[in-house]
Amino acid sequence: MKILIGLINGMISGATPILLAALGGAYTYYAGVFNIAMEGMLLTGAFFAVLGSYYTGSWLIGVLLAVAGALLLSLIFILFAVVLKTDEFVTGIALNLFAVGATTYMLRKIFSVKGVFSNPAIQPIPSIRLPLIENIPLVGEILSGQNLMVWVAVVATLLTYYLIFQTRFGLRLRAAGYNPARLDSSGVPSNRMRALSLLSCGVLCGLGGAFLSLGYVNLFAENMSAGRGWISLAAIILVNGNPLGIALISLLFGFSDGLGLLLQGYRVPAQFTAMVPYVATLIALYFYAARKRRLKSA
Amino acid sequence: MRQKLFNALIGILIALLLGAILLLLQGYDPLATYESLFRYSLFGYYPFATTLRNAVPLVLPGLSAAIAFASGVVNLGQPGQLVMGALFATVGGLYLDLPPGLMIPVLALLAMLGGMLWAGIAALLRRLFDMSEFIVTLMLNMIADYFTAWAITAPFKDPAAFSPMTPQINPNGWLPKWGEFNTMILFMLAAVILAWFIFNRWKAGYEWRITGQNVLFARLGGCNINRNFVAVMLVTGALAGLAGGLVVMGGPHRFIRGLGANYAWDGVMIAIVANNGLIATFLYGLFFSAIQTGALGMELITNVPNEISQVLQALLVLVIVASREYLNTAVEQLAARRRAREART
Repeated sequence: MKILIGLINGMISGATPILLAALGGAYTYYAGVFNIAMEGMLLTGAFFAVLGSYYTGSWLIGVLLAVAGALLLSLIFILFAVVLKTDEFVTGIALNLFAVGATTYMLRKIFSVKGVFSNPAIQPIPSIRLPLIENIPLVGEILSGQNLMVWVAVVATLLTYYLIFQTRFGLRLRAAGYNPARLDSSGVPSNRMRALSLLSCGVLCGLGGAFLSLGYVNLFAENMSAGRGWISLAAIILVNGNPLGIALISLLFGFSDGLGLLLQGYRVPAQFTAMVPYVATLIALYFYAARKRRLKSA
Repeated sequence: MRQKLFNALIGILIALLLGAILLLLQGYDPLATYESLFRYSLFGYYPFATTLRNAVPLVLPGLSAAIAFASGVVNLGQPGQLVMGALFATVGGLYLDLPPGLMIPVLALLAMLGGMLWAGIAALLRRLFDMSEFIVTLMLNMIADYFTAWAITAPFKDPAAFSPMTPQINPNGWLPKWGEFNTMILFMLAAVILAWFIFNRWKAGYEWRITGQNVLFARLGGCNINRNFVAVMLVTGALAGLAGGLVVMGGPHRFIRGLGANYAWDGVMIAIVANNGLIATFLYGLFFSAIQTGALGMELITNVPNEISQVLQALLVLVIVASREYLNTAVEQLAARRRAREART
C-alpha cells in the first residue's frame, strides 16, 4: 500500500515539470514553430526561481522571476526565429546551450559556487493540504499534500485544451501552423501568432522550471533540467500535441521516474534506474511508429 | 565564396560587439578581456598547441554532425557516441597489451566501433520499426551518459580512486607528444581530409549529399536510400566515437567523470554555424576552441569567469547564422529589385 502511494506520488511529481514544458511546447507545435528550446527554458526558469526565492525569501517572487527568465529566452527565440528568420532548429539548439552557459556563469558570478547551490534560505513552493479530503484513505493521501505547482499543471492542462480548441485565439494559432499564408491574407499576421505561442511556451516552461528547483528539490544544480525538455518534446510528438494526451504521456514518464526510485530499493544500480524514463520514451516511440505505419498501410 | 567569408566575418564582428556590451554592462574591460582571450589561445607556441589539441573533440563531432545533416540524417547522438567511443577505447586500453605501433590504431578503431555501435542502434530502430532517429539518438545520449557513469563506478572503477574513474590505460596506448603538439591533432587532420574526400569526391558521398538535398531525386536516380542512411549513421557515429577515444588516449589516459563535457553539443553547433561545410566546420572548430582555451587564461588575468566563453559561443552561433540568412535574403532582395527595375525600362 505504502509502496503504491509512494509510486503514485513519485509519478505525479516526476510528471509535473515534463507536463508543464510539454504544454508550452504544444502551443508552438500548433503554431508551426519547431521549438526545441524547452530544455533551456526549464533550466533558466529553475535558476531564476532559486535566485528570486533566495534573495526575497518569497517563493512567489521566485516563481514570477522564473517565468520572466524563461520569457526572456522566448523573446530571444522570437527575435531570431520569427523576426530575423533564422532556422528554428539552430535557434533552439543555440538557446539551449546559451541557457546552460548563462546559468553556470551566473551561478558562479552571483552565488560564487560551482555545481550546486543549496541554501536553507531558499523558500520552496508550498504543498497544499486539503482538510477534509486528506482523511479519505488512499485518495486523500494522494490528493492532499501535493505541491501547489502540481495543481497549476492540472489547471494549465485544461486551460490549454480550452484555449487551443475552443477559442478564437486557438483557431488562429492552429491556422498559423496549418496554413500561414491563408491566415496572413485573412488579416491576422501569422508571425504574431507564432510569437504569442512562444511567449505562452515561456510562461509554462518557467513554471515547470520553478517546480524543478523549488518543488521537486530545493536547490539549483548545473544542467538540472537533465533532458526533461527533450522528453517533453517527445511527448508532444507522440500525441500530435493534444494537451490531454500530453498529460497522459507525462504521467507515464513520471511513473517510470517513480519506478526507477522504487527499483533502487531492490539494489539495481542507481545509474540504471535513472535510465528508465529514457527507455520508456523509446518504447513509447516504438508504439507511436507502429501505429503510424498501420494507419499508413490501412 | 567571397560572399560566404564576408558574411561570416560580419557575423563574428557583430557577435563580438554584443559580447563586449555584455562585458561592459558587468563592469569589465572588453578590450583587455578579448586581448587576453586571444593572446592565451592563438599567439605563442604553447597556447596555439593547446588550442589545436582542444579543437580535436570539437571538430570530430562537428564533422559527424555536418555529414549527417547534409545527408538528411538527423543524428543528434554525438554526445552518446562520443562517451561510448571513449569507454570502448578505455576498456581496450585496460585489457590489451600490444606494442604502441599497434596499440594506438587498435584503440582508435575500438573507439570508432563504440560510436558506430551506439549510432547503429538508432539506425537499426529506424530501419526495423521506423522510429525517428531524431528522438532516438537524443534518448540514447542520456542512456549512454548513465551507462558510462555506471561502468566507471562499478565494473571498471580504479580501486585506488575515491571518485568514479577507471585506472590509467596501458602506456602503450598513450598518444605520443612532440613538444607541446599532441599527436591527436594528426588524427583530426586525417579525419578532416578523409571525410572531405569521401564526402566531396567519392560516389558514396555524392549519393549522401544528393539524398540530403532531394530524397525523391536520389531515389529516382537509383540511390539505395536505406543503405545510405545506415552508412551515414555508422560513419558519423564512428567520427564521434573517435573523438571520445582520442580524448582518453591523449589526455587523462583514463575515463573520468564528465569526460564528454559539452564537446559533442559544441560540435553540433559548429556544424550548424558552418552550414554543414566540412572545411568550414574545421575552421569554426579551431575558432571555438580558441575561445574555450583562451577563456582560462583570460580568467587568470582579468577576473572574468571563464564560463562567459559559453555565453559568447551561443551568441556567436545565433548571430552568425542569423546574419548569414539575413544577408542572403537581403542580397536576393537587392538582385530582385534590380531585375524589376531593368524589366521596367
